[in-house]
Amino acid sequence: MKQHPLCTDPDHGPTVMDLPIAEGMKAEWAELETRRHFLGRAGKVLGWAALASLAGDKVLTGDAGAANVSVPPAPQSLRLPNFAPKAKRAIYLFMSGGPPQMDLLDYKPNLAQLYDKDIPDSVRGAQALTGMTAGQARFPIAPSHWAFKQYGQSGAWVSDLMPYTGRMVDDLTIIKSTNTDAINHEPAIMLLNTGNMNAGKPCLGSWLSYGLGSMNDNLPTFMVLLSKLNPKENNQPVSSRLWSSGYLSSEYSGVGLRSAGDPVLYLSDPRGVDRDVRRKMLDAVNEINRQTYQELGDPETNSRISQYEMAYRMQASVPELTDMSREPQSTWDLYGPDAKEPGTFAYNCLMARRMAERGVRFTQVYKRGWDVHADVMGMLPILCQETDRPAYALITDLKQRGLLDDTLVIWGGEFGRTVYSQGGLSADNYGRDHHPRCFTTWMAGGGVRPGITYGETDEYSYNVVKDPVPVRDFNATLLHCLGIDHNKLTYKFQGLEQKLTGTTPASVVNGLLA
Amino acid sequence: MASLLATVVLLLLPSVFRLDGNTHADWQQFLGRFHPLVVHLPIGLILLLPLLEIAGRFRPALLEAAMFVLSLSVFSCVLALTLGYLLAYGSGEAGASVTRHMWGGIALTIGVGGCALVRGASGGLRGFYPWLLGSVLVLLAWTAHQGGSLTHGDRYLTEYLPQPLKHLTGMGTVQAKTFAFPDSFYAKHLYPVFDANCISCHGERKVKGHLRLDSFDRLMRGGEDGAVVIPGHPERSTLFKRITLPADDKKFMPSEGKPALKPEEIAWIKAWIKQGASPELKTLAGISLPHEDEPLPQVADYSGKMAVIEQAAKAAGVTLVPVSRNLGDGLVLNTVDAGAKFGDAQLVSLEPFAPYIVEAELGRTSVTDASLGTLAKFPHLRAIHLEGTAITGNGLAQLAQLQQLRYLNLSGTQVTAAAVAPLTSFKGHLYLYNTPARPIPAAPDGQSTARKEP
Repeated sequence: MKQHPLCTDPDHGPTVMDLPIAEGMKAEWAELETRRHFLGRAGKVLGWAALASLAGDKVLTGDAGAANVSVPPAPQSLRLPNFAPKAKRAIYLFMSGGPPQMDLLDYKPNLAQLYDKDIPDSVRGAQALTGMTAGQARFPIAPSHWAFKQYGQSGAWVSDLMPYTGRMVDDLTIIKSTNTDAINHEPAIMLLNTGNMNAGKPCLGSWLSYGLGSMNDNLPTFMVLLSKLNPKENNQPVSSRLWSSGYLSSEYSGVGLRSAGDPVLYLSDPRGVDRDVRRKMLDAVNEINRQTYQELGDPETNSRISQYEMAYRMQASVPELTDMSREPQSTWDLYGPDAKEPGTFAYNCLMARRMAERGVRFTQVYKRGWDVHADVMGMLPILCQETDRPAYALITDLKQRGLLDDTLVIWGGEFGRTVYSQGGLSADNYGRDHHPRCFTTWMAGGGVRPGITYGETDEYSYNVVKDPVPVRDFNATLLHCLGIDHNKLTYKFQGLEQKLTGTTPASVVNGLLA
Repeated sequence: MASLLATVVLLLLPSVFRLDGNTHADWQQFLGRFHPLVVHLPIGLILLLPLLEIAGRFRPALLEAAMFVLSLSVFSCVLALTLGYLLAYGSGEAGASVTRHMWGGIALTIGVGGCALVRGASGGLRGFYPWLLGSVLVLLAWTAHQGGSLTHGDRYLTEYLPQPLKHLTGMGTVQAKTFAFPDSFYAKHLYPVFDANCISCHGERKVKGHLRLDSFDRLMRGGEDGAVVIPGHPERSTLFKRITLPADDKKFMPSEGKPALKPEEIAWIKAWIKQGASPELKTLAGISLPHEDEPLPQVADYSGKMAVIEQAAKAAGVTLVPVSRNLGDGLVLNTVDAGAKFGDAQLVSLEPFAPYIVEAELGRTSVTDASLGTLAKFPHLRAIHLEGTAITGNGLAQLAQLQQLRYLNLSGTQVTAAAVAPLTSFKGHLYLYNTPARPIPAAPDGQSTARKEP
């Protein structure tokens, strides 16, 4: 059949792989080969345009060497940070379950007079409650059982449950007006971590790894520390979805350290396998993987190669990281006796400091058990005893070592708790249900203004009355501290320029910034 | 003859019904808004003409069609021009772009009419036809572009031009606005708000309601209804009133469904008018802005030396990482992977790049006091990390000459109080934790530091 003159046979002519261009560029090109690309191959012009945009200025200005000055494997096209960052790294102390803000940091002295009175309908409005309290006949106000004191130059009010937090209020940026759209744990914790209630999106740590890349060769960029469960507490599950890279390459997932036993399984080589043998085996496996990649061009194969290599280097770096025998006595005096026991929140806070020193970009420490639906009076003292001192110790330790200047520390849960009691309210106990409309979080360190309290809630700690900080603005602000414009850290997926802060316009909360 | 008359009428039109920036009858705007729709008809027809003329050489029937299309072009040009005029006149649009687009449209209509005359003529006049048609096509492209810029903004076409091309054509650069008082609240905070929200309709290119907000003087001069800013009285100032109306009010600004100003921006405008609408005031009582940093000093352009820098960094076993995408922010020397393998000699090897390095992370490397002298030759250093090194502090005084230094970490070193004495005038953050100069503090006492009882 005679070919139409305007139709060129796509199988002839040079392909990108034949061009005299950098190997890295070819690899990036290969990653673009999707079904859609294949189908659209006849329209090659578009493909060339895509290649040109991958190559960026460098093709025209001639300094292709510029692409390799920095370590980050992060995509050069993003060219992050967008501006000089205040913080190079972050530590996120995640209080999973939802700490009760009015028992800890959101002081409401007037509630004492309203003991066991019903919360006015005007305050609650038409809000849908969880199935756990929606059926309650009454919503009796439960004032906090604990007294509050004013601390520091800033005069912030802190519950007697958290005396150590009281000591550091002048270093903290307390946000009383954080609020979320989700009322149950899983969607709320997903929203805070990934900007979306549904699973499948990359989390904050993965976005940071993707956008900023690694600061060191021997430890992962993003690490997750799970604190041991306390069976006396009401523990909600925490799953690896929360440190998943979603649609980003799996290289950007968080790497967890185990809270008991070896921090990483099979860390040491088995008997009879020395370092050389291990190296040779890995080289052979990598070679096979590279062949597979040549053949199929699946970028996940490359991720696998880099993960094997990271694991190999971690065999050397993790034992050094987790060996705390050289920590001076002053460390244990600061973090408290719990820190000696692997897997406790105190131990993990100390570990987070050690990771910060060793160039880990983002560490997330999970502490579960804050889901105090009942027995607030029994559980809250235990929770605070476990977390108050270590959080203080971490801030103090970072500060004295000069690390707080460029480390951002974040403390907070996925939502707050209700001012009214779930279940019965009695003189010696009460419970609190989930509350998305306001909760208290704090930040400290690089990029945020110390010694301030931002936002206000009403006299019931129920609604935000001033300066609300929705989750997307909270996350936009975190990224800002790390030198990132949240609108520019994007990844094209499912036809959208996806980003951590989602599609609803988000804005950086300038009032929080230093 | 009739065509000459038509030409004169068209040329006189703008002086009879001057585009004076005042809005006129609603019916004019109603009809006028069909202009963007109708305008594509003559564009299509005129573009068809050269094709028909060329193809007509092979199929003469098409030449006949060309005359028909040309007549239609004349008619549709007149229609589009009329509607366009109604749109501009009715909605009170004025400004350089509008005027240019108007004259383009008039000239184009005359040109197309001329084409029709010349093409129909016999003899020598007929020879002008291809030239006239060519000019009409060029004019068409220019006029259409002016029109497009009016609806979509000037940067619509070039906004997503691939970066390298932007670079080559110099379109990426925007002329900075100059102010009489560049540090004033007006220049730093209010003008950017006007620029982002108002100036597309109240600026040089488009002037609605006689009001221009693109300079302080014009802002104070006001528009067709007089002053829009009455110093001291935001509630009486049209500017403030119009931006605080309900969003569905006909007079609400910004109009045409553009998003409202942010609450904080409205608060700024209110406070600024209340406090005298001064072009000079730097701060306003009651308005707190996030603390602004002094701009970071910029390092020289090193983009031409990337390859050499990379090579030297590799040889020293370290990385030199850009602080941000702005190369002027400098490079960070990152030694975390080299550790103890990085020593005094390696630091010396990086000295040629001293002017570009703003932060030296030398913690836990094997540098000694000898490196203090080397570091003193890195004039742009803002932060030096020496924690956990064998530094004893001998020669610390040399660092005093680093004007930009704001952070010096000597934790875990052997520096003594005597060694750090020369740094007493150092203004930045100096860390001496766990050194002979400042030994580890005693264990916390467990006592709370509550200020007072509630």
